[in-house]
Amino acid sequence: MAEDKATAILAALGGQGNIVEIEPCITRLRCEIEDGSKVDEAALKTAGAHGVMQQGTVVQVVVGPEADTIASDIEDLL
Amino acid sequence: MSIRVVSPVAGLAAPIGEVPDPVFSQEMVGPGVAVKPNGGSAEAVAPVDGTLSTLHPHAFVVSTEDGRAILVHLGIDTVKLEGAGFALHAAKGDRVRAGQGIVTWNPTEVEEQGYSAVCPVVALEVGKEELTDVIEDAQVAAGDPLFAVDS
Repeated sequence: MAEDKATAILAALGGQGNIVEIEPCITRLRCEIEDGSKVDEAALKTAGAHGVMQQGTVVQVVVGPEADTIASDIEDLL
Repeated sequence: MSIRVVSPVAGLAAPIGEVPDPVFSQEMVGPGVAVKPNGGSAEAVAPVDGTLSTLHPHAFVVSTEDGRAILVHLGIDTVKLEGAGFALHAAKGDRVRAGQGIVTWNPTEVEEQGYSAVCPVVALEVGKEELTDVIEDAQVAAGDPLFAVDS
């Protein structure tokens, strides 16, 4: 379940090749990405994000306290 | 029944909408109260009895036996301090009591480094209407009541 979420979030961030760095904070994933235009906010919300904040290549995906788990699942996928 | 949530820090309790971060001010992860801490070195305490289910130097979550989870975030964007200035007194998975010291930190130093030291105290994934007895315009000591959550 959590892994499915990680897969969906990774896809919505533009896939493996678009990720520079993902760092979990307590309620969110702080992501540095290659191409900001590849981020699909609607898909992130479908994947379970409570909110998305994007400024250029910095994207914060609000996922709640599961952030740690999701970030490590995404790192396993990278 | 309701769970009494106490303030993790001494300071001025204020509406959560005053936190300079949309995740907290827009209650994306749940409702709560902001506490603007008094300065100087201080111990941040557990807001409820429960298990320390998540622990970072700058933030922690205590999960209660009836399935509630209370998040305490010490300052805003303080993940970027990478733990510098935060001393932990407990470990992830520990059973803790409300009022028990979890982290020693210094809100004055956090502000000197350019971050807000405000502490959101959030009931994760709870509806706003489930919060009662909310204190959001008063000076509180660590361990003083802040709000209650239905359980």
